Amino acid sequence: MRLRIRKKYLFYALVVASSVLGAVTASIDSVISHLHVTNSWVFGVSAMLVGTLVTVAIALVLSLPLGRRSLGARIDPSFSRFRLLRRKELRYHLLAGLGNTVTTLGYFYVVSVFLDPSTVLPFFQVVILYLLLAESLSEKDAPTLAEIESSVIVTFGAIMASMSLTGSFNLEALFIIFVIVNPGWVLLAVCQRKLKRLTVDDRPNDAINIRTWNVVFTTLFITATTLVYNQGYVLDALDAFVDSFGWLALTMTVTFFSYILYIRALGIGKASITQAVKASTIVFSIPLSLLLAGVLDYSFGGSPSLLAIKIMGIVLVVLGVSSFALTEVKAYVFINASSGYKMSELLREVWRIRGVASVSALAGKYDMVAKIRIRTLGKGYERIIRRLEDIPAIEEFNWQSILKEWEEI
Amino acid sequence: MVKAYIMILVYVGKLEAVLSKLRGIENIESIAVTAGDYDVIVKVAVESLEELMETTDKIQMAGNIKRTTTTVIEKEITA
Repeated sequence: MRLRIRKKYLFYALVVASSVLGAVTASIDSVISHLHVTNSWVFGVSAMLVGTLVTVAIALVLSLPLGRRSLGARIDPSFSRFRLLRRKELRYHLLAGLGNTVTTLGYFYVVSVFLDPSTVLPFFQVVILYLLLAESLSEKDAPTLAEIESSVIVTFGAIMASMSLTGSFNLEALFIIFVIVNPGWVLLAVCQRKLKRLTVDDRPNDAINIRTWNVVFTTLFITATTLVYNQGYVLDALDAFVDSFGWLALTMTVTFFSYILYIRALGIGKASITQAVKASTIVFSIPLSLLLAGVLDYSFGGSPSLLAIKIMGIVLVVLGVSSFALTEVKAYVFINASSGYKMSELLREVWRIRGVASVSALAGKYDMVAKIRIRTLGKGYERIIRRLEDIPAIEEFNWQSILKEWEEI
Repeated sequence: MVKAYIMILVYVGKLEAVLSKLRGIENIESIAVTAGDYDVIVKVAVESLEELMETTDKIQMAGNIKRTTTTVIEKEITA
């Protein structure tokens, strides 16, 4: 019996696992930035230098064969082995590296300012609003009212959940998150999604090579930026590389697996929805924060009203994420073409319609089938049916709503 | 690689039993329960037309299936 699961369950499993690892990473980073490498520039450069070494080593280990497939294929079935970049990937890797550089430098600064990761992480979740805007501008699908509602709920929930129990705020750090870190993350997420959806050597691109090359480019950019800013920091980073290698290798290893799961999820769902589910990171960061309070020997304070607001924020984030999950309509539309029109042109015309996830030319009873993914049935009429009725090459079509679906991953 | 959609009509009350059988058949990429002219639409990916026939046979032998209609994919555009 073959294992066949519903694609959305795999998607949520990947993102939630990535979120747990993300929360663990933030906690380890807090320990490092407060006990071992206190300068954020030095932390950034040393972490990426160690990260490159660790990531390439893991990619090589994952390239080892295990049965008929590689070890890494157990994590991402598209992975075969660590390989060189292809020309068509270069542009996206350069942009993703740039986005990750901005995000990483900003992140290490913020982590060095805030001690409690549960007050830092929620602000990163606001990136979902940036992603929705980017998707509406660049992709085939504009955000629906349901998506906007859920995003606003997640955003407000994240802000409430991020409230420190001591009531303190650092406006400079928040400015860096909103203006520098989050836009950088959008660039990274959009480019990684493009990379994951590319076909390399006649197979889907894999998350392990994407992450490995992203680390390489990010390290080059961060080192170059730091050299321009202050050469001394790069020398300090080399010292930190040796002195704190264990801690840095630990955080970069956890980060590697968190990203692999995240990139795989990006290949399945929209970037904004992936980010919405990843908001669950803040839920996992609470127990880790309590654990960290013991390690770093500090107190959270203890205002009951602030704690209540924080819990309400977490509830809002979970509600927002759930409403994302429950609003998707899928359908097959079988099409018969009129005579006297080219099938290849009709195929492209149907593909251009927003909400069409795939379109196939068929031999048999129908000439074509389009798979539809939309947020509401209302959009199915406005965006799909009305457009199909306007195409003269279509003689008739037959809408089949999908009630439930299982997909091989 | 040959890909095809197989549209299936199922006897009333037997959908769950058919789905259970379909989930155990090799070479099936996706199974969708639908509302419309068909009850289930299956997407299949096989190496040859011979293998497509074997997969179609397995589906038809699963029991409780009234009729199947197979359409081979000539070209596919996907995101």
